[in-house]
Amino acid sequence: MASISKAEKAYVQSSLLSNPPLRADGRGLIDFRTIALESGIAPIANGSARVSIGTNAQDGGGGTEVVAAAKLEVESVGDGEGVDGGRVVCSVSCSPTAYPLLSPNALDDLQHDMTSVLNATLSHPTIRPKNLCILPGRKSWLLNLDVIVFSDAGNIFDAIFMAARAALWDTKVPRTKSVQYRAKKSDRSDATQAMDMDVDETAHVGSALDTRQTIEVADFELPDYWDEGEPLNGRQAWPVCLTLNLLPALHFLDATLQEEASVPLKLLVFYSFLSDATPLLRGMRLLGTGVSDLVQVNSLLKDGEKYARNVWLALEGKLKDEDLRRNQKARERFLNR
Amino acid sequence: MLSFISFSSQHTDSTYHRSTRHHPDVEDLMDVDDDDFSGSEPKLTCPGETITSSQAFMRGHGTYVDKEDVIASVVGTVERVNKLVTVRAIRTRYNPEVGDLVVGRITEVQPRRWKVDANSRQDAILMLSSVNLPGGVQRRKLESDELQMRNFFEEGDLLVAEVQAFFSDGAMSLHTRSLKYGKLRNGQLVTVPPILVRRLKSHFISLPCGVDLILGLNGYIWVSKQAKDNDQGEEGFDAEAVYSNQNDDIDNATRAAISRVGNIIRVFADHFVPLTDTLLLEAYEWVIEQEGDAKYLLLGDTGDALVAAMSIRG
Repeated sequence: MASISKAEKAYVQSSLLSNPPLRADGRGLIDFRTIALESGIAPIANGSARVSIGTNAQDGGGGTEVVAAAKLEVESVGDGEGVDGGRVVCSVSCSPTAYPLLSPNALDDLQHDMTSVLNATLSHPTIRPKNLCILPGRKSWLLNLDVIVFSDAGNIFDAIFMAARAALWDTKVPRTKSVQYRAKKSDRSDATQAMDMDVDETAHVGSALDTRQTIEVADFELPDYWDEGEPLNGRQAWPVCLTLNLLPALHFLDATLQEEASVPLKLLVFYSFLSDATPLLRGMRLLGTGVSDLVQVNSLLKDGEKYARNVWLALEGKLKDEDLRRNQKARERFLNR
Repeated sequence: MLSFISFSSQHTDSTYHRSTRHHPDVEDLMDVDDDDFSGSEPKLTCPGETITSSQAFMRGHGTYVDKEDVIASVVGTVERVNKLVTVRAIRTRYNPEVGDLVVGRITEVQPRRWKVDANSRQDAILMLSSVNLPGGVQRRKLESDELQMRNFFEEGDLLVAEVQAFFSDGAMSLHTRSLKYGKLRNGQLVTVPPILVRRLKSHFISLPCGVDLILGLNGYIWVSKQAKDNDQGEEGFDAEAVYSNQNDDIDNATRAAISRVGNIIRVFADHFVPLTDTLLLEAYEWVIEQEGDAKYLLLGDTGDALVAAMSIRG
């Protein structure tokens, strides 16, 4: 993304290819910059998170900064765009301050590219969460995951996916109860009854030969308005992204803008891990003008899985810490009220 | 391999809001005399703070007039020249002066000129007639030179130049008419806020570890391997050498030193410490004494310790 001179590019490449490999800021090939993460930053959203890689600790400037927020919306299955069981739609928008040298059209293109990478991986039906259904066949939740890029100092995809995973981890789905409206036969006035899904056989008046299973449940309500809800299902499924920057002989992680401009090919791998640590490869992308071959990609996948596992475990630990911290704060506020 | 931290929360000083604070000049609005302004510490001000009465003083850059007061519109130091009050902003784009040394990056190639990004409000302009053409410093410009401008400078190239003059719209006009100016190679660029680079006698600094620094006044700092002084003189001006993109062979020790110096500069920039050659020399010696890898400077504690050590000494 950054323009770089031929001499700078040659310097970066020769430093990496020297023995031992040396990066511009002295990091190792697989060292990340410090990553700061905070969840629950947008109280209006159902789930949100903010991730920044490599920001300056003194004033919070510099670095890659990304904010993700998940918002739930009700949509109708059938006549609406809804899918039975709910769906997830992701979008990435880039703030113009992140890319001051790009024209608005180029910025749109970039947003579109990032959206397609995020959408292809996270909106996939195989990792759709199970608790997005409200009324089967009628109403379901649409989860809008919006990611905003505020500044880009390299390694943007890792940041986007980390923020997305953190926001989805933080998302709470409101509990709903289905409601049925039925006219009382005796006094012909409408009365509402909260009922279970099964139709009450005894109250149903009609021909005994009528065996249609009419779904009479028409609407739903929130039993507790103030309840945030239950956590979104499928936390083990949201993948982390790992960007492997490839030079012909080696690969490295967490590139700065100069390093990204000096590298002809990048491999993005998306891994998620089950609770028994089995890895699942959720997707893969090659970006850039260089070429690779199957043998190299295979060996890179093995390395990528190792690094992704480290990122996964570290991220999981941090998310649990965040949950603790926020519960702690809520408890203190309650005590001091 | 990687570590997660939390965002540092802005600590609000509880004593800050306890009492209303007035700018010292507001308290004696009517009789502002010379003693208040001269000879004292530079006064810091924030946007919205009243500086003085507009009856007695004219307003300059960084201020505006509201009813009868001159109010600051930027964060900075208050300066006064006779009856003119200005506020010089702290975090601002580079404000060029004639004769400044700047490091810039070519953004566009236009007929007979290049557009150079110099971290200022406008792109600077480097005219074809302001560069040294290969074959001798006094060589005349040919038609073929105009058509082959990319043989000299391409988009993305880094160069060091001096501000020659200003165009009528305020854009800088640069020149590289000296053997020490020209295309940069064998190193890496570090960016800091422009205000941290002080005006020094010489902006070409040579550190004992074999690292050369070029402190551009626009905040772009070039850290590179030490250039061999070969006395070419005016006649032996070799095009192959000056406009080439080929780096020299650099050994690992020098590369590590370049990384270390780059990290030191970044640490000082993060802590908003102005850069001078003596400071960088002492900082480098301190870092060598610590015997850590270059990357440990990126960790917050080492950086804080470095700044603390330097402020004790300096």
